[in-house]
Amino acid sequence: MYSDQHLRVSDAEREAVCGRLAEHFAAGRLDQAEFDDRVGRAMSAKTRADLRGLFADLSETGAPAVPELPRGGGGTPGDGPRGPGSPIEFRLDAASGVPTYLQLVHQVEHALRLGYLTLGDQLPKVRDVVASLAINPNTVLKAYKELETKGLTAGRPGQGTFIQATLSQVALPELAGLHKSLLGWLTTADAAGLDEDGIVALFTSALRDFYERRGGTRGRRGAASGEAEGVA
Amino acid sequence: MNVNIIETSGLGKRYGSTWALRECMLAVPAGHVAALVGPNGAGKTTLLNLAVGLAEPTAGAVTVLGGLAAGSPAALDGIAFVAQDTPLYKNLPAADMLHLTRNLNRRFDQPYAKARLGELGIPLNRRAGKLSGGQQAQLALTLALARRPRLLVLDEPVAMLDPLARHDFMALVLTAAADDGVSVLLSSHVLAELERVADYLILLSRGRVQVAGEVDDLIASHRVLTGPAAEADRYTERPLVHARRADAQAHLLVRATADDPVPPRWEAHPVGLEELVMAYLREPGAGALPGPARGRATHPTEVTK
Amino acid sequence: MTALTMPGRPAHDARLRPVPWRRMAWVTWRQHRAALGGVAAFLGAFAVYLWLTGLQMHHAEAAYCHPAGSLGCAINFTGRYGETAIIVSIALQAVPALIGAFAGAPVLARELETGTFRYAWTQSIGRLRWTVGKLVPLAVAVTAVAGAFTVLFAWYNQPWVAAGYVTPFSARVFDLLGVAFAAWTLAAFAIGVLAGMLIRRAVPAIAASLAAYAGLAFATGLWLREHYITPLVTSSTNLPGSAWITNNWYTKDGKLVSQSAIRNILQGYHPAPATRVGPNTSQTILNPVGYLTKHGYTHWISYQPGSRFWPFQWIEGGWLLALSVLLIAATVWLVRRRAA
Repeated sequence: MYSDQHLRVSDAEREAVCGRLAEHFAAGRLDQAEFDDRVGRAMSAKTRADLRGLFADLSETGAPAVPELPRGGGGTPGDGPRGPGSPIEFRLDAASGVPTYLQLVHQVEHALRLGYLTLGDQLPKVRDVVASLAINPNTVLKAYKELETKGLTAGRPGQGTFIQATLSQVALPELAGLHKSLLGWLTTADAAGLDEDGIVALFTSALRDFYERRGGTRGRRGAASGEAEGVA
Repeated sequence: MNVNIIETSGLGKRYGSTWALRECMLAVPAGHVAALVGPNGAGKTTLLNLAVGLAEPTAGAVTVLGGLAAGSPAALDGIAFVAQDTPLYKNLPAADMLHLTRNLNRRFDQPYAKARLGELGIPLNRRAGKLSGGQQAQLALTLALARRPRLLVLDEPVAMLDPLARHDFMALVLTAAADDGVSVLLSSHVLAELERVADYLILLSRGRVQVAGEVDDLIASHRVLTGPAAEADRYTERPLVHARRADAQAHLLVRATADDPVPPRWEAHPVGLEELVMAYLREPGAGALPGPARGRATHPTEVTK
Repeated sequence: MTALTMPGRPAHDARLRPVPWRRMAWVTWRQHRAALGGVAAFLGAFAVYLWLTGLQMHHAEAAYCHPAGSLGCAINFTGRYGETAIIVSIALQAVPALIGAFAGAPVLARELETGTFRYAWTQSIGRLRWTVGKLVPLAVAVTAVAGAFTVLFAWYNQPWVAAGYVTPFSARVFDLLGVAFAAWTLAAFAIGVLAGMLIRRAVPAIAASLAAYAGLAFATGLWLREHYITPLVTSSTNLPGSAWITNNWYTKDGKLVSQSAIRNILQGYHPAPATRVGPNTSQTILNPVGYLTKHGYTHWISYQPGSRFWPFQWIEGGWLLALSVLLIAATVWLVRRRAA
């Protein structure tokens, strides 16, 4: 996975994006209101991730104005033209004890959270995942199906699997606040004598209890993922 | 895809006075990558030889590709076999092996074979005996896949390969499964990589099928319960496969799903494929065979200690 | 668990036409061209030698040996080339055995030994077509090459027959002439092939087929061959030089006289001194037959007349061919039956 999504954009880049938006407006893909809205968002964009989201439903021809680092998908034993490809590449932690398909699901969710993936991005083709990781194709299909069940992706026949929703974003200030309070709790736990593994175990157990109390299958799914991730 | 790629009933094979395989009952559905595991001498190679027509059964029958007799011309046509130690004619260059395979088969995709060998960097005019072990395996596999089989059978294909060669080999196998829907049956005694690769498991032990079923079903239907050793002996709620105990603590591998209740003060964990296989290997009397689809009830033997 | 979709597969051919024979012919050629080349080179080298020495012998015979038996013939023809010709004909006896063992035994033995049969017998062509498509062309090739070689040898041998030095029936040359050489080569090949299938290792199979061939060849030459047709019996002393004498014995008054009795009688036989003949003047001409005949014993000879050469050739060739077909059929049957 590459990290240019977090890079700050320059005025020049914002201007270039506005230029492209103007082309789309001239071609009739955007109406006036949408055009104004997107230009406003472009001028206030901070990172490349912000800018890319503006073109999620617009077909791109030619080189994109936001320069992209070479896609990291080089692991596939070359077969045919590279095409647009997928922004992300999967990895496998064979020793983690987490089922393979769950690892793939989590990586997609993680990528969504961090902005590596946005609306309209394509997930790696099943064949390419199989070729680079040497895993069972049914496993990849199962992962993609799970993502579809969660409503995060949708398959387009003959084209691939595409992101169609994002995870609920927590606002940045709120995230910062949560991070701070967590650090405070950790300080207390550390003072009480818990080591890292003890903290993880305690947290995992509390997480499980929390979701169980919230009830139903949702709880169990949460518990399952919490358990799978947190088992020491 | 309701075809059974391999189906056996009461299959047995005797060499001299030893039964290498006995009362083997399988129905492996098509479209899967099936792993055949078991200790050395368990009968894996025998079963594979019977499936590809290199051996005749002493008892019972085996059919392949949805009811074809093993070894019949139609079966030979649809199955590609790579035996242990990847047999090739060592004094022939790869190009001649291609030509040879094309002449011995009805169907051979020469462009595909050449493209794969090119990607893998296998020189076409070097003698097969002079290629590295990994390259020989890749060559044998490419020849097999170029026949466009419906079933690919591999006997311990990666046993002699280094990790990188193993990875590339399995990537080629699985890509073929992804692209063309080739079913795969491969035998291995390296358990660690099976979970990534296989979605159907057959465990052979001492010539008998001990476990057979889809990997997801097997994993979903087993749990490890960890709890006080003192209570372990009294546990009877679910069938026990294998128990490990110390003075204070015991781990019980039981046939249970995530929905089954866990006794108080006990913890339940999911089981990995390797742990599952090892447990069954340690308990020859236990078994886990598919149930309703075959019209047989599942009655694994309970083992109490 | 959804299985994978299967995009465009070629439609399954319900009739399943068998893989054509000519494809197997290429396979046989490619796999065994080294062996065939070896056989050709081996016989080719022999052929060149035979051609060169044969030319010399023909010239010598034409120049010196009319009339046959003259001193000039003895010096320039028999004396110069005689030993070589004998050695050559003895060496050639081994050729069918070598061809059969080295071309025949490894065909199946190598496949079984190296495990490549696990590849070959799981291809679409099937193991029967594969086996027949290998053995038949190889057998035909080996036999044809041997047959061509016989023609050359017959030419090489011709001066010796003309000079009365050897009869075609002689054990030394009978199985190098006519159809026998080709038939023995085919039989050796068939023995090699079956040995390879039974023993499953190339080197022991080669050894075993050499041994089996040697046993069969000796048994035929020493015992079987003379019984193809009942020999003629005569007491006449006037036999044509081309006759093949298979046995002789004495009778007196119609009763068979034992060999030990004959030896006792011959104790008292003192042959007359010789007239000058040859370099060694102390030679005496032995004529025990004449001596015994004078004393009332009748000498009987059983023999095969020279005119029976070709019937004998056909008989020998015939049963060797039948044996070869049987052995190759047995091999194919074993291939069909064999478990991995």
